[in-house]
Amino acid sequence: MSEFAGLGADLGMSTGMIPITAPPETPKLPPREWVKANLFSSPFNSVLTVVASIIILAITRGLMSFIFNPQRQWDATATNLRLLMTQAYPEEQYLRIWIATAVVFTLTGLSLAVWRAGSAVPLSDVGRRLLTFGGTIALLVLLAPFSVRATIIWLVVAVAVAGGGEALRRLVDDERTMSTLGILLIGLSGLVGSLWVIPYGNHTFQLHRTPRVLAEPGTVALTTKLPWTVMLLVAVAAYFLGIFIRERLPTNAPRITLLLLWLLMPPTLLYLVLRDPSFDMGHVLGTDIPIFLVYAVLGGALLNWLARPSTGEIGRIVAALVLVAAFAAFLTPMRMIVRLDMLVLAAFALAAPTFSGGPRARKNYVIGWLGFLGIMSWLVTAINTPSTVKVPGQFFIGGLSLTLIVAVFTIVISFPLGLALALARTSNMPIFRLLATWFIEFVRGVPMITILIFFSIMVPLFLPPGMHLGEVAAVIIGYSLFSAAYLAENVRGGLQSVTRGQHEAAEAVGMTTSQKTVFIVLPQALRISIPPLVGHCIGVFKETSLLAIIGLFDVLFIARSVMPNQTEFMGSTKENVLFVSLIYWIFCYQMSKASQRLERRTGLGER
Amino acid sequence: MTAPTTHERAHQRVPLWRDVIVLKWVTQVFLLVVVLSTMFFLATQAGDNLRARNIVSTFDFLERPIDIQLSEGIDTHPDTGARALWTGMVNTLRISVAGIFFATLLGIVVGLARLSDNWLVRRLGSMWVETLRNIPLLVQMIFYFSVLTTLPRVGLGTGPINGWFHISNKGISMPRVFIADGFYQWLMVVGVGAVAAHYVRRHRQRIQDETGAMTSPILWGIGTVALFGLIGIFVHPMFTWMGGIFGAIADLLDSLPIIAPQILFSVVALGVAARWISRFLTDHRSVRGHLSLSDDDWFRIAFAALASLIIVFVLVRWTGFSSWTLNSGRDLFHVLEDKFNVDGAARPFDAMRPDIIQKSRFPNYGKNGLTMSIGFAAVFFGVVFYTSAFIGENVRGGILAVPKGQSEAAMAVGLGRGQVLRHVVLPQAIRIILPPTGNQYLNLLKNTSLAVAVGYSDIVQIGQTTYNQTGMTLPVVAIWMLFYLSCSLSISVVVNWFNVRMKLVER
Repeated sequence: MSEFAGLGADLGMSTGMIPITAPPETPKLPPREWVKANLFSSPFNSVLTVVASIIILAITRGLMSFIFNPQRQWDATATNLRLLMTQAYPEEQYLRIWIATAVVFTLTGLSLAVWRAGSAVPLSDVGRRLLTFGGTIALLVLLAPFSVRATIIWLVVAVAVAGGGEALRRLVDDERTMSTLGILLIGLSGLVGSLWVIPYGNHTFQLHRTPRVLAEPGTVALTTKLPWTVMLLVAVAAYFLGIFIRERLPTNAPRITLLLLWLLMPPTLLYLVLRDPSFDMGHVLGTDIPIFLVYAVLGGALLNWLARPSTGEIGRIVAALVLVAAFAAFLTPMRMIVRLDMLVLAAFALAAPTFSGGPRARKNYVIGWLGFLGIMSWLVTAINTPSTVKVPGQFFIGGLSLTLIVAVFTIVISFPLGLALALARTSNMPIFRLLATWFIEFVRGVPMITILIFFSIMVPLFLPPGMHLGEVAAVIIGYSLFSAAYLAENVRGGLQSVTRGQHEAAEAVGMTTSQKTVFIVLPQALRISIPPLVGHCIGVFKETSLLAIIGLFDVLFIARSVMPNQTEFMGSTKENVLFVSLIYWIFCYQMSKASQRLERRTGLGER
Repeated sequence: MTAPTTHERAHQRVPLWRDVIVLKWVTQVFLLVVVLSTMFFLATQAGDNLRARNIVSTFDFLERPIDIQLSEGIDTHPDTGARALWTGMVNTLRISVAGIFFATLLGIVVGLARLSDNWLVRRLGSMWVETLRNIPLLVQMIFYFSVLTTLPRVGLGTGPINGWFHISNKGISMPRVFIADGFYQWLMVVGVGAVAAHYVRRHRQRIQDETGAMTSPILWGIGTVALFGLIGIFVHPMFTWMGGIFGAIADLLDSLPIIAPQILFSVVALGVAARWISRFLTDHRSVRGHLSLSDDDWFRIAFAALASLIIVFVLVRWTGFSSWTLNSGRDLFHVLEDKFNVDGAARPFDAMRPDIIQKSRFPNYGKNGLTMSIGFAAVFFGVVFYTSAFIGENVRGGILAVPKGQSEAAMAVGLGRGQVLRHVVLPQAIRIILPPTGNQYLNLLKNTSLAVAVGYSDIVQIGQTTYNQTGMTLPVVAIWMLFYLSCSLSISVVVNWFNVRMKLVER
């Protein structure tokens, strides 16, 4: 695309068109003029200003009085933070949770570096924002029902912040900039530092009571200040490591590796770290690994042969035979893993002509097969081993961790499903189109809660005797089907916006339909669909709150039903629910801001 | 042998396993068989498992008596399962319709606020949207519910305005304006007024077009309807004779045999399919009358014919549908006959003030006023505020999508800001606003299902109670899905109709 832009400019210059000048800048008004223009420009506007200020002041005063009312039981939330985050995960094994968090922070640091996140913001801008921030603190403090001493202390703090901002604005040169990552680091360091100074979650209560699901005595800050400092240091170290890698290697390799690591991270953390499975090494070495090796070697050889361009029709017949064998395997008694491996081999065999090519392409394809087979075998083995973590309730973890697990797995599982549905819905073949359309319209016309109730209660009804599906797994399947239907609609818009010329050019070059779809249409369609996709992810994250209705221990359920039932904290629903809504708001707001940034970035077109 | 020419190659028969059309249909039929066999397998598994537990999953519970009490609705002590579920459906529709109405109003205000010149109003709108969009609806509803339950109790002197407006932890109670006996006759008078208003508006519009004088035709039309409404309050008994007509229609329906609606619907189905097929064939004929159909076109024709034949078959075999049609029609017209056969002293509307009575230990709201229970209030405010944020964004997007040149040209011609909005920007913006807003209406309907978490008796909550009592989980879930699908389809049809109308108007 960029070469066309250059071409256009050259053409313009050569035909003597008028050079384009920037539009005149609107002058920045001094404060008094700004107030007059924006707030009091007409009588109607003045009335609106007065009404709006009354509304804002009333709401702020109400919120401040609500939050700082001495009757509020904020220690309910503060003491139960561990419950809210991980729901009774045993204390002895809490190191696993910190390891999982450290892994996530490492990957985040590496990604921030490799994808060059963060932009430069001028220091005078930072100063202006600090000034506004100080002003807002002052306003809030004046409206809050503080004692005189507290009001004066906070006003001093507000004036200090505002003064610092104003000083920054006036004294610093206009050109000096600062990275947003630097600002983020300063903010996070401030928060972690405050953990060492302020004793959050201080509460004295009875030590010996049953059940012992509350945080251990002491303060939340006391137990978490060291781990959080370590996390921050790990993230910073990973960031610099990422910069080091970025400088040394070409662009694509680190990005693809990081993407694969991100995809591998949820199942690894869940099945290896958090669940602490007790692998039966005899079974693994005796059965699972031999099956994997047999399929790897034989399947790899078969795929290598099928991916040769010279194989031709024999190859497709062989692939069809493998598919028939896979379906026959489902009808005969056999291990499930053997059947699944056969099915995956059939899928790879049928797709081999699409990815056929020279030795390097074939090698990549076989490596893809080995990787996929390995991950699938490992997942099936890990899912079937029991966990040693025993907690009350259905699932071994709860709280915010359960919300994140359900959301991430839903997005990961529903993405290929949604793609397939979108491709089916825009396909030329009538039966695919009809089936996909009926499925999508059915799922979109029904509320999520009915699907959730259906999947959580009635899945055991549909399974053959002997097969058992956990409640969380069934719920994730329900969420994925629901999310796939909505995702299909988003991707469909992107698919339909790929111009006809692309299709025709691909066919003119000789690509088959599958090759055209995979290599030409999908990359463009997905790129266009990224903003609605991110909005969809935000929606999935919000929908996981419905787990509270089914009775799974997610954040909302704990805040609403578990915590107000503790004898010290009865009637604390409002505070807990307000805290939970704050958590959700922070997550969703950051995601929507990131989506806007992403939109702006891809809009500039770095082809 | 020389290589075949292009002409020969084009007319060679392609072997079956390489023919694209054959492969296409084989894969499609194969996938269809796989999907159908999976569904069959799941169904038989479910049947086996149910039989193993001695549960018979039928729809009988709809006719059998049921012993549940509902917190609110048209029938709080339903005697059959069907009545309980019907109450739930009415509750859901009630809150959805009220929610859609108020969410649209609030959404338009929020959207316009975000576009205002006033900086403070703009910030307020942005804060509203950003806060409400990023917190899940369930969390919001639960928060409102927990706040409302901590309101003070009902006392004999409760309320901001005792005797007119009460707020307590039992809900909000306000004066109730309700439909009295003479309403339907009054509606007839208003209908006559609407017809008259149409002609009045046309007349005034013609005067405005010909002479250019501002005759405000729409205001005159509304004024005519209002005038007829006012007169109708006094003269509505003159339509009592309509009751006799409806009674005659009801008797006619009663005397029809069951086969009549069967024949009618079958003829309609076959006729629609035949017309569609003939139009399809006409569209695909070339100029000289030749027909060249691809395999997809044959599939479409076969599908249309098959669908109509299935409808006819179902109608013939299942007489329940036709008898239900006849019975419901007869009952409907009997009800209408009763509504029109009222004495002359009846009034169209009546109003009552809310009262507080004390039957046992604690005072409570009486039956006179309109009581918005805590559950209803929590769901209502949650759903209205949440959807208004999204509708506000749609409105803002629609107005911003109208090219700036339009409003600049309108202002250059001399229209004021309000006139620019009304005559130039909004007609173009409504086309862009309407589809996503229709989507939000669907979302609102589905979001009311969250009422199960705050105890409002909507259909999901009543369904849960029903299947907890009777054990009939599968039929209840099927009824849920049918209900929500039909409501969604109706809303989609209405929104699509508006969309199509807007497109024609644009031309």
